[in-house]
Amino acid sequence: MAQSPVTYHLVAEVKIRREHFGGILYKYGCADRGAMSFINSPQLIDFLLLGQQQYGGDLGAALDAQNYSPASKQKLRAALDDLARRGYIQTEAEESIS
Amino acid sequence: MTQFIRFVPRSSRSSGASSLNLPMHASVGSVHPAARAAMQQTGEMARQQTGRGSQRFLQGGLSAPITVTWEITAACNIACVHCLSSSGQRRPRELTTEQSLALVDELAEMQVFQIHFGGGEPFMYYGIWEVLERCSQRGLVMCVSTNGTLITPERARRLTEFQPLYFQVSLDGGTPQTNDRIRGAGVFQRAMRGLELLAAEQHSLTVNSVLTRYSFAELDQLYEIAASFGAKLRVTRLRPSGRGRDVWNDLHPTREQYHEFTLWLQSHPDVLTADSFFHLNAFGQKLAGLDICGAATATCCICPEGEVYPCAFFQAPEFEAGNLHEHSFKDIWRNSALFAFYRSMGAGACTGCGQYNACHGGCPATKWFVHHKLDIKDPECVLAGTSA
Repeated sequence: MAQSPVTYHLVAEVKIRREHFGGILYKYGCADRGAMSFINSPQLIDFLLLGQQQYGGDLGAALDAQNYSPASKQKLRAALDDLARRGYIQTEAEESIS
Repeated sequence: MTQFIRFVPRSSRSSGASSLNLPMHASVGSVHPAARAAMQQTGEMARQQTGRGSQRFLQGGLSAPITVTWEITAACNIACVHCLSSSGQRRPRELTTEQSLALVDELAEMQVFQIHFGGGEPFMYYGIWEVLERCSQRGLVMCVSTNGTLITPERARRLTEFQPLYFQVSLDGGTPQTNDRIRGAGVFQRAMRGLELLAAEQHSLTVNSVLTRYSFAELDQLYEIAASFGAKLRVTRLRPSGRGRDVWNDLHPTREQYHEFTLWLQSHPDVLTADSFFHLNAFGQKLAGLDICGAATATCCICPEGEVYPCAFFQAPEFEAGNLHEHSFKDIWRNSALFAFYRSMGAGACTGCGQYNACHGGCPATKWFVHHKLDIKDPECVLAGTSA
């Protein structure tokens, strides 16, 4: 068994809003019990909104369905890994037989 | 907890605020001469090519608030000596339930994330159930700040219908003696009963406590009380607004207490602070959360009679940005002359301070209510008298 690419799923409590600098991620909780991040990448915000609105939060599926270049995909995956560390995205390693 | 993420540097970042957020023609309301003068005296905001953290994102305001504090009624069944809005009696022009429901719809359409209901006591607003229901339907996160004394078993149960809903129950001391000297005789026990009833229905709770020089010694007790209800403790800063002006000198913590408090916070990382103690960052240890005042940029306050202010602590008539009886909330947020001025204030007396990037000058409301100026250091600046 080996681990192949992780799946990325947006946490249900995350709200996303576009702003002039990019956008805001807000994981709700009572006032400061939640988490909030300012993200200065409109492209990333657009991608997260796409995943939330058209893929039910399955960002991996959204990523696969888009015609991104390998370099862009790699960059997005790095960003998603960062968001996962901050609690906005759940990840799961897909197991496969090698 | 607030975090700031920079993924891709934007080569085309403009040097000024977006025209969307800082209107060239602020068309809502006028600016009171005293407020205008006080804001102008702070000088010009240093544009944030040099800014750090949250300030460069908040500069000029967001398209909508992240959180709106909505003091939905001034009616209250208790009379705290430090009440920031001098609550007690219902006021004549309070928003009707219909107006409140329309406001919820507007806030939802603007994509405001969360409404923080306060007052007064929110459960004394006759339309509170309809308003919570509408928020729930529109997907707005609700947080209700309550004194807890009007919670009954039936209400606690009925409130489970609304999601996501959080409660903050106020206790301003870990003992009846300390709490009740602030909040009134018998209130400690009644608030504890409210906590018990909410906890029994599995509501998400925090115990909210305003830090005073008297409650300081009872932080551990407050922490234990919160834990006993499965709640977190949330400690907030005393402000000299409303009736708080009358008791400010007696109640606000000493510098030494504040220093000990920062150490206490380090050993209690699960304690929340509503990002209200960022002025203490100047001690040299950055506290979790925002390091800047979010008034008029990330948040604002709607008062019972439709007045909109920069924040809940800045309910000074001179700083009213507009009124919902005359303008839409969206129009006030985006086009208020007062907000446009407010968002471009400079550092005033803090210009050149070595710790400015840590505290960004502290709380403007506290400056205003203590000295009727904004171009001064925070009255609780922890560096006062030092060479920083």
